[in-house]
Amino acid sequence: MPPKSSRAVTDKSPGTTARSPELLLGIYRLLLKCRISDEKARILFRQGKYGGNFYSAVGQEATNVGAAYGLRDDDWIAPSHRDWTSNIIKGAPLKFCFAQLFAKATSPDRGRSSPAHMGYPPLNVITPASSIAGQLSVGTGVAFGLKKHGRDSVVVAFFGDGATSTGTFHEALNFAGVHKLPCLYVCANNRWAESVPLRLQTALENLSDRAKAYGFPGVTVDGNDVLAVHDAAQAAVTRARAGEGPTLLECKTYRWYGHSEIDPAKYRTKEEVEGWKKKCPLAAFEKQLLDKKILTEAQKGQIASEITAEINAAVEFAEESPYPDASELADHVWAERGA
Amino acid sequence: MARTLTLIEAVNEALLQEMERDERVFLLGEDIGGSGGVFKATAGLLDKFGQDRVLDTPLAEGAIIAVAIGSSLVGWRPVAEIQFADFITPAMDQIIQQASKLRYRSAGGFSCHLTIRVCCGGGGGSGLYHSQENAMWFAHEPGLKVVMPSTAYDAKGLLLSAIRDPDPVIFFEHKRLYRTAKGEVPEGDYTVPIGPAAVRREGRDLTILTYGSLTQPSIDAAGQLAQKGVEAEVVEIRTLAPIDKETILNSVRKTSKVLIVHEDKRTMGFGAELAAIVSEEAFEDLDGPIVRVTGPDVPAIPFAPPLDKAWNVDTGAIVATAEKLAAY
Ligand SMILES: Cc1ncc(C[n+]2csc(CCOP(=O)(O)OP(=O)(O)O)c2C)c(N)n1
Ligand SMILES: [Mg+2]
Repeated sequence: MPPKSSRAVTDKSPGTTARSPELLLGIYRLLLKCRISDEKARILFRQGKYGGNFYSAVGQEATNVGAAYGLRDDDWIAPSHRDWTSNIIKGAPLKFCFAQLFAKATSPDRGRSSPAHMGYPPLNVITPASSIAGQLSVGTGVAFGLKKHGRDSVVVAFFGDGATSTGTFHEALNFAGVHKLPCLYVCANNRWAESVPLRLQTALENLSDRAKAYGFPGVTVDGNDVLAVHDAAQAAVTRARAGEGPTLLECKTYRWYGHSEIDPAKYRTKEEVEGWKKKCPLAAFEKQLLDKKILTEAQKGQIASEITAEINAAVEFAEESPYPDASELADHVWAERGA
Repeated sequence: MARTLTLIEAVNEALLQEMERDERVFLLGEDIGGSGGVFKATAGLLDKFGQDRVLDTPLAEGAIIAVAIGSSLVGWRPVAEIQFADFITPAMDQIIQQASKLRYRSAGGFSCHLTIRVCCGGGGGSGLYHSQENAMWFAHEPGLKVVMPSTAYDAKGLLLSAIRDPDPVIFFEHKRLYRTAKGEVPEGDYTVPIGPAAVRREGRDLTILTYGSLTQPSIDAAGQLAQKGVEAEVVEIRTLAPIDKETILNSVRKTSKVLIVHEDKRTMGFGAELAAIVSEEAFEDLDGPIVRVTGPDVPAIPFAPPLDKAWNVDTGAIVATAEKLAAY
């Protein structure tokens, strides 16, 4: 069931009134871009256009977009397996994102990682390992390094509810608390870790409560309300830039599809899934914008067709790109054999 | 009565029968209950035995092994699952510092009677983090036993031995073999002892030492070599620790030539130990260099199909290397 507003849902979204249309439309465009790209990635997988696996984040877009929208180029994102769209949000060209799925030589990692495990070094998106919570430790280290430089850049680290059970989570957040590091830890609490329900993952009601143990603020928001997420994230980013330390932001959300494209997700009830689909983060925001006449139907169609055209070109680029050659198998193991 | 089972069915049956036989046995791991495991190795067991004996744990490999160790100290017989060998690293402190050394550091006062099932190995396109075959890490640690079956028969018999063994046993299940390795498996209770290697094919010209996913390709290679007049003996090292030196050395003394084959990386791989054993204990019997066909020194199997394929430890590579060795 969608979360009833709980005590810890501290950030009531003030609605669209106080914000510029540019900001709202920017967020909308990105939400839509993530949605259509993710659905396209699923279709391509099902068509057998690439192998391995894909971890869809459809249903969770407001969390990723809300948290990372407006980051600067010099800020960092530490994504996990479900955060392929982090690259899109940070501004990586779509053609590289699709080349990543296809594991082509034009992908940022030249086909090394599995499809959804994407980073983009030019814009400081850290190529993820698949080892859950690993990005939290690396992200924390980056935050430490940034602070040591005296810069005001920040790190946004994404992870799921399952990741909060690891020792790595504790070690990373504790360290960040001690050193007041400029890091925003964004938990996409989608209530499931593969087939394991939240009640077997934690005895807590709100995962943001964990922040108490590390001596910094923890906030729970409706992860399907993009403005609520964005406000909370912006407050945390402002704190971080000012040297006031990290924040744990729990976004309650839901993944519409299986853990991955090969997971039929039989462990969930239809009612649960349908209940959450009614809380679609994209539809809700779109309606707000249409109601307030910030977005018109014509504009909506225009934006969607622009995005679709960009995606089609990106898929074409990916399809036409060559695979990496077998001869580069041992390149980039050490600096001496960087190609 | 025996019937044909796949390796994964044999694992499932061993777990089921041992849980029926011994109430102290329980299972714990990620996704092993509600979904029956990522590969379905534990399918049906939650329904049969309930949540007290089939635990879907929080996502924490360290805690999974810690709980297994602790509960073994008070008489339970835990069988922990590590979903992918790649993700065993968070549990390394528990396995290396606790499980492998508790008996020794307490002079036998405490022991860890537990089994850790680990799904490992490349599956063709499973990518950097769902393909690692790292059994040799554990073979380096006295106090642990390390097992990797390649047949359904051995999977059931060795798993039953592992669960009954008073020491910590790391039991590797190769994902490529889960559904491709099929064979006769008795319905009833039987064990395959931990330790002995198996001679899978006899031959006089050279010995192929191998294990896990490369056992069958090695047997296939021996078949092709026979057509070229080279008789290869294939020794499958089902137990990496303790290692069956006798079977290995007997074979080497007979053939005088050794080819070592494994999927894992080359440098400091298990083959290096095998080569050392042979050169230390059968040097006089050798009639050629000890050679290896192994994975390359690359961090893990990359995803892009041409790179995945370039990992290239297969029947063809074994035949080519064996032919050269035979002609030496
Ligand atoms: C250390 C480690 N253990 C297990 C896995 C296998 N695995 C991949 S995703 C996942 C569940 C993650 O759940 P959560 O953190 O809630 O993220 P979500 O998938 O819901 O986005 C598991 C168990 C892994 N990748 N790494
Ligand atoms: Mg989750």
